[in-house]
Amino acid sequence: MRVYLLVMAFGFCWLAGPALAADRTLSVTIYADDLALVQDRRDIELKGGRQRIEFQDVSAQIRPETASLTAADISIVEQNFDFDLLTPAKLMEKAVGHEVTIVRVNPATGAETREEALVLATNGGVVLKIGQRIEVLRDDGLPVRVIFDKVPENLRARPTLSVTVIGGRAGTRPATLSYLTPGLGWRADYVALYNEADSKIDVQGWVTLTNSSGVTYDNAQTLLVAGSPTQVDGGGRQPNYYRGQQPRPTLQQAGTESGSRERLGDYYLYPLAERTTIANLQTKQVSFLDVHGVPAEHGYEFRNRWLGTAETPQSAKSVYSFSTSAHAGLGDQLPAGVLRFYLRDKRGDPQFIGESRIDHTPMGSTLSLATGDAFDVKVRAVVDKRTRLSTFNWQSDMRYELSNALPRPVTVKLLQEGLWGDSRITAESQKSTRRSAETAEWAVTVPANGKASLTATFDTRY
Amino acid sequence: MRGATNRGRHSMRLLPASGFALTWALAAPAWTLAATPATAADTLASTPSDLSVTVYRAPTRRSGSITLNALEGFALISETRTVRLPAGLSRLRFEGVADGIEPSSAILTGLPAGVIEKNREGKLLSPSALVAATVGKPVTLLRTDKKTGKSARLAGTIRSDAGGGVVFETSQGVEALRCSGLPESLSFMGVADLAATPTLSVLVRSPEPLTRTVTLSYLARDFDWGADYVATVAADGKTMDLGAWVTLANGNGVGFPSAQLQVVAGRVNRESGDMEPLDVGGPILAQCWPRGSTSDLPQYLQIDRAWPLGAARQGAAGAMYPMAASRLMEVTATAKKVEQEQLGDLKLYRVPDRTTVASRQSKQVRLLDRSSIPIKLVYGADLAADENATSAPAHLLLRTVNDVTHHLGLPLPSGRVAVFAARDGATLLEHESNLRDLAVGEEVEVDMGDSPDVQVRAAKETTTIDPARTHELPLVPGVLHLRSAQVEAVDHVDISNALGVEIQFELRLRLPEGGRVVRADHPLGSKNGRPIFRLTIPANETMTVRYQWQHMTG
Repeated sequence: MRVYLLVMAFGFCWLAGPALAADRTLSVTIYADDLALVQDRRDIELKGGRQRIEFQDVSAQIRPETASLTAADISIVEQNFDFDLLTPAKLMEKAVGHEVTIVRVNPATGAETREEALVLATNGGVVLKIGQRIEVLRDDGLPVRVIFDKVPENLRARPTLSVTVIGGRAGTRPATLSYLTPGLGWRADYVALYNEADSKIDVQGWVTLTNSSGVTYDNAQTLLVAGSPTQVDGGGRQPNYYRGQQPRPTLQQAGTESGSRERLGDYYLYPLAERTTIANLQTKQVSFLDVHGVPAEHGYEFRNRWLGTAETPQSAKSVYSFSTSAHAGLGDQLPAGVLRFYLRDKRGDPQFIGESRIDHTPMGSTLSLATGDAFDVKVRAVVDKRTRLSTFNWQSDMRYELSNALPRPVTVKLLQEGLWGDSRITAESQKSTRRSAETAEWAVTVPANGKASLTATFDTRY
Repeated sequence: MRGATNRGRHSMRLLPASGFALTWALAAPAWTLAATPATAADTLASTPSDLSVTVYRAPTRRSGSITLNALEGFALISETRTVRLPAGLSRLRFEGVADGIEPSSAILTGLPAGVIEKNREGKLLSPSALVAATVGKPVTLLRTDKKTGKSARLAGTIRSDAGGGVVFETSQGVEALRCSGLPESLSFMGVADLAATPTLSVLVRSPEPLTRTVTLSYLARDFDWGADYVATVAADGKTMDLGAWVTLANGNGVGFPSAQLQVVAGRVNRESGDMEPLDVGGPILAQCWPRGSTSDLPQYLQIDRAWPLGAARQGAAGAMYPMAASRLMEVTATAKKVEQEQLGDLKLYRVPDRTTVASRQSKQVRLLDRSSIPIKLVYGADLAADENATSAPAHLLLRTVNDVTHHLGLPLPSGRVAVFAARDGATLLEHESNLRDLAVGEEVEVDMGDSPDVQVRAAKETTTIDPARTHELPLVPGVLHLRSAQVEAVDHVDISNALGVEIQFELRLRLPEGGRVVRADHPLGSKNGRPIFRLTIPANETMTVRYQWQHMTG
């Protein structure tokens, strides 16, 4: 209800404001994946009968095939998108067969001589016919001004959309032009401040809007859609998955809670409360989330990709995990973006400690985000012995050496991946859990300023 | 109780807080009566009164020093500024932020509620941006007579700047800029609201005029740091002195005077991609119609970014400046050292005094100084089994442990180490190599390069096949057989020492998967799961090691 009040107030403001174009209402719906739907409502003057309407201030990256013009009592004859741009070379090219004025300037005296010339050709040089003489323009390098009568039709400074319509009756009436354009996109940026004393995080969320579409959208009503509609041609990034290149999974547990935010199909909608001007090449941020004191957990994780030896100890990853649940969590679904972690130093100033990308995350999920490598917690995996039991059966004796240079004990989640084929653990110094057929997991506690060791024997058949 | 607080404070700022929306709705009609109802007042934040710069290393570099012409690290910059806001809507601008700013990382604290949006304009003031902003608008054309020096001013309109060429229209007709060969120039009416540097602005609404101290923090690219160690090995080769500098560099065009300076060691995650659009602009391109007589290539002056003197613009030429400076170690040995503290799982080093990080500058601060660190010099070779190698020089390693008994026991951030040897009171550079992040308690191993005086030669000595251990597999009975035979080879390795001293030597073997050494004439050890011979080779002697290996089956 209050939202409506607000919009009405703005509408009033907008109509009365002399600085704004009184006949134009823009609304922009921006999808997360570099796609936007622009709805441009304005008053057009119709003469009645056949008429051409030009739209110069549309996105430079407009997908012209998606453009549509709707207004009362008109029918569309054709739509054209002219991308023949006005340049000096094009101007001369279009002047072939036409008369231009040339002004010769005497370099010594500055005296001007005016002549009419017919442009014959522009291939590799401009050939002119002046009276009965044929000349090459500026062949001698002396200054010659060329003056054209007018700019030819179809040549414009910017690509232009034009629509030919047949208007039923003459008069001014509102029309809506809508089209899809790439070049406008948004994502979320999160700032998380972790409090070491009580293991809690404060999280702020910002939507970050970027516009590289070539034009400015003045005073536009903006709606952000979390989700990426399938695009058939052009746009849309293909996920690039192949073994070994898969990023570390961040979503530990997918949530099953519903939020109060507006939805459209399976997408969440984030309307901007106020009209805003999205300038070309601008980065704009609007706050959408501000939560304090969410419990978070800090831990260490080490992944050994295959049963191999590392010559030098490798750092474990420093991992922060928290929930997006309404109960003891962020209490919201999170649109995809980058989450930056900060921590206070000894003086109390927040310092950056790393960032992690998150995908669209439903409410009630558990996220586990790696911020970087732990300086003091390291793991070295060593193959102590590899024995061939038979042609297709190998035994690997693994040893994991963990070290901790911190003055407090830590627990490292140690993951052994790459257990393909029929891999069994026949002996181990500490009980493992099998996360999946391919991954075994141990939680190893390393004493303060100390070392720990774990051994496991793998029997692999394939 | 806790959950309730949590929900209560969780506001959705896309739609303003309810009470606020109401006041705004009531206030709106009053505003429409004002002269400029919807336009925001432009306010400029003061220059920073306090600055803090925290430099992070390039996340992809695991070891080694920085390269001045490719600074791939970043910095967290916090600026304390004073703002004066009028009542109502205002656009608060922050000028002089680093040019490498990542706008989406900007955080502003200290302003009361009412921040509507944060913006960073990506279109900067440049000749081409001026022309682009003036298309369709009046402009003055200046045409100067070369002979008399008089210039004629002609009012006109820019019709197009598409494709680099400029077409303008005057009362005389349509012409193209600088195609006549006459000195022509454009004179603009205003600067079209474009900023010279990336400027951050905040749209904020304040119910009353106020003055606040705010903190603006953001991440900026084009910074980097590394540690530069200088190890001086004593004449007896038993101890060394270790000194180190923090070498940091700022590649931005903006300097940070009298700043609190920190550097952070440890690898932090960075998500690449998602670059914010930025148009730094360019010169006006006056492309013309084809000229038959000469080239019509556009001629323009390009102002390039500044590069450190002597640094090659392409390729890894290796910036030798930090090295040159670290050789001056003795001169500034009394320098104050950085103070180290724990930052989560990272190490933060704080420069004790405020310092100025100037634009495009590299700076060195003392990291540590330790003396009489016990070391071991060990020669070594890494050989594959059955290798038949002609003589190759052995590798020399300098080894110590990062603990208190070795006069160390402090985190050693990654960087480059230059090893010097003492000689008659002077020191000479012996070798330079890279060092990774070393935690307390880890073994420190510095690569010292190859030593031509210690040569290693490997060969297969004898190969025997025991007929009793061969197996025949008939493929076509009586015609074609497959024979599998166990080949038993004795490998031998000669290590010759041309030095006048006894040396420690480590010969490490790389056997195929499942292989095991079954016989050897020297005691065999194991390192990281691989067989190793730890040998002592007397001065001016050659030692031979023989071993035999086999595939092991369970």
